[in-house]
Amino acid sequence: MRRWLAATLKEMLLLSRDRSGLLVLFVMPAVLVLVITLVQENVMKTMGERRTQILFVDLDGGRVARQVESALTEADGVQLVKALDGMVPDVSAARRAVAKGRFQLCLVIPEGLSAEVRKQARQFAIQALNAEGDHAAPTSAVVNVYFDPAVTGGYRSAVRHLLQLMLLQIEVQEKMTQLSELLPTQFEKALQSALGPMAAGMAPDPAAAINLDWTPQPLFEVRAISVAGKATVKPTNAVQQNVPAWSLFGIFFIAVPMAGSFIKERLSGVEQRMRTMPVSYLALVSGKVSAYLLVCMVQFGLILMIGRWLLPLLGTSAFVLGSAPWTLLAVALCAAIAAAGYGILLGTVVKSYEQAAMFGPISIVVAAALGGIMVPVYAMPLPMQKISIISPLAWAQNACLELLVRGGDLRAVATPVVLLLLFAAACMGVAWAMFSRRAR
Amino acid sequence: MLYDEWPMTDTSPNALVIDNLSKRYHGAEQPAVDALSLKIRRGEIFGLLGPNGAGKTTFISILSTLLPPSGGRVFMGEIDCARNPRQARRLIGLVPQEIALFAELSARENLSFFGKLQGLGGRALQGGIRMALNAVGLESHAHRRISTFSGGMKRRANLAAGILHQPPVLLLDEPTVGIDAQSRQLILEKLKELKAAGTTMVYTTHYMEEAQGLCDRVAILDKGRILEMGAPKALLADHPQCRNLGDLFLELTGKDLRD
Repeated sequence: MRRWLAATLKEMLLLSRDRSGLLVLFVMPAVLVLVITLVQENVMKTMGERRTQILFVDLDGGRVARQVESALTEADGVQLVKALDGMVPDVSAARRAVAKGRFQLCLVIPEGLSAEVRKQARQFAIQALNAEGDHAAPTSAVVNVYFDPAVTGGYRSAVRHLLQLMLLQIEVQEKMTQLSELLPTQFEKALQSALGPMAAGMAPDPAAAINLDWTPQPLFEVRAISVAGKATVKPTNAVQQNVPAWSLFGIFFIAVPMAGSFIKERLSGVEQRMRTMPVSYLALVSGKVSAYLLVCMVQFGLILMIGRWLLPLLGTSAFVLGSAPWTLLAVALCAAIAAAGYGILLGTVVKSYEQAAMFGPISIVVAAALGGIMVPVYAMPLPMQKISIISPLAWAQNACLELLVRGGDLRAVATPVVLLLLFAAACMGVAWAMFSRRAR
Repeated sequence: MLYDEWPMTDTSPNALVIDNLSKRYHGAEQPAVDALSLKIRRGEIFGLLGPNGAGKTTFISILSTLLPPSGGRVFMGEIDCARNPRQARRLIGLVPQEIALFAELSARENLSFFGKLQGLGGRALQGGIRMALNAVGLESHAHRRISTFSGGMKRRANLAAGILHQPPVLLLDEPTVGIDAQSRQLILEKLKELKAAGTTMVYTTHYMEEAQGLCDRVAILDKGRILEMGAPKALLADHPQCRNLGDLFLELTGKDLRD
C-alpha cells in the first residue's frame, strides 16, 4: 500500500512538472470543448436555432406582397429586413448584399405579382366552374429567392420549402377568393336556367357567406418532440453533445503521456532499477494508473464546469448534468480505465517516445472520429456507422448521450461500460504478455 | 544497515554462489552467459572485465533478478535468486549503466521514492537519504532536479540511489563511465568505504586501471565464458609479459574491434 502510494505520488509530482503533459491533459480538452462547442453552436443556430434574416424586396406593393410580408413577419425563426443601410434596396443592391454574405438570402416579390396571382387564380376559378371568360391555362408566377453561395444545401432546401409552403397558403386563399366571387353568379345562372323567372329572389347566396378566414388554419399540425426511453426530454444541442464528447477525447488522450512515461522509464533504466526492488511491478503500474485516473477525473470535472458555467457566459446554453450524475461519473471512470489500458499497451508496444508521440495521438483522433466525437455517428455514411462500433470512444460517447440526452440509467449504459472495461483488460493483458516476453 | 536481512543461519563466507549459470536469448546462436561458476566472498569487490558483448550486463541482470537464467542457479547467501527473487531483492542494490533516475525530480525526491520502494519509511528513510547524499557529495544539491546536474553529479546520484538502503550486495554496471576525474575519484573512494563496511560488490568496467586498483578479484569474460579469474596481482604474476590488467585483457580477448 505504501509503495503503491509512493508510486502514485511520484507520478503526480512528475505530471505537475511536465508542462507539455499538462497542456495535453488539461488545456487541450478545455480549449477543444470551448472552441468546438462555440463553432457548432453557431452552425446549429445557422441551421435553425437562430432567427434567419431575410432581405425582403417588394417591387409589387400589392395584396400578395403584403400577405407574404405578414406571413414571414409572423413566422418563427425569421426576421424580415426591408432596408439596406437605411435605404429600400433594388434587386441588384439586394443581390450584391447577399453575394457579399451580409444576408443568407433575399426574397424578391416581382412587380405586378398581386395582379398576376389574382388573374391566374381567376382563370383557375373560371376553368373550375366552367364559367364564361378566358379559358387559357393558368401559368405560374415566379418569385425569386437569391441565396448566398456559401449557404449549405440542407439549409437552402429548408428555406425554399418554407417559402413554398407559405406561397401555397396564399395561393389557396386567392383561389378560394376567386371561387367565392364566381360561385354565386354561376349558382344564380344555374337556377335561372332551370327555373326561369321563378328563380328570381329564390336563390339564397350561400357562396357570398363563405368566410375565408379559415384558409390559413391548417387541418393538421406537425409538432416536433424529442422522446427518450422514459420521459420526454429537450433535444440535444451543441453543449450537451460536445461537453461529454470532448471530455472523453481528453480522457483518452492521457494514453499519450502515460505511454510516454512508461517509455521514458524503460529507456532511462528506471524501470530496470524498480524491478530489482522488493516491490511487485503490478503495484508500480497500478500506482501510475491511479495517478492518471485521478487526473482524468479532475479533467472531466473541469470540463463539465466549463460547460456549466463558462460556456453560458460566451452565449451558449448551459450544460445540464442530467438525472444520473454518479452514473455519468462511473462512465467517465470506465473510459479513463480503458484509456489507461491503451496507454499501458502503447507504452509497452512502441519502442521510442517519438513513436508514441506520433502513433498515440493519431490513433486517438481516428478512434474519436469513428466514435462520433467530431461528427455524430448518425450523420456518417452507413459503412462508417458500422465501423464506428469498434471505437471505445463510441461506446463511451453513447453511454454519455444515453445518460445526458435520452435520460437513461445504469442499466442503459451497462453494455458500453462492460465493453470499456473489457477493452482495458484486453489491452493490459496483451501489454503484460509482451512485457513478460521481453523480460525473458 | 540491512545486513540483518541475511538469514541468521547463513554462516557461509560467500555472499554469492553462481553455479553453472547460462543464458541464451531467444533466437541467439551463442549463449550470452555460458556455464559460469564462481563464488564471491562477503565484503569482496569482484570485478567483471570484458569487451562489448562479453556477457557482463547479462550476468549483472541475472544477479539482480531482472533476467531469469536459462540454466544454472544463483544463490545469495542461502536464497535461491530465481526461486525467491523478492527475498533476493531485499539484499541487493543496483547501480545500472544508465542514469536510472527521474530527470524532473530532485535528487532528494528520487531518493525518497526509491527508498520507499525499498521499504524504508520515517527516520530510516530520512537517515538513508542523508547518508546517501553525503556519501556522494550531493547534500548541498539535494533540492535540484536531476536534469540540471552535470554528468558527474548524475553518476553520483545514480550511485546514491543504489546505496540508499545500505544493501549487503551492490551490483555496479559501469558506474564511472563518461564522468570527470573528480567525480570518478569520489565514487571509487566511496566504494572502498562500502567495502570496508562489509558490502559485497560486483563491478563491471572498461577501465582496467580502475579495476586493478579497486577489485579484490577480477574475472575476464568473453563470449559468456570466464577466460581468467583471480586477484589482479596474481593474474599479472601468471602473465609476466603483461605490465598491467589492460595488457592482459588485450592478450586474452584480442585486439579485434567488438562492434
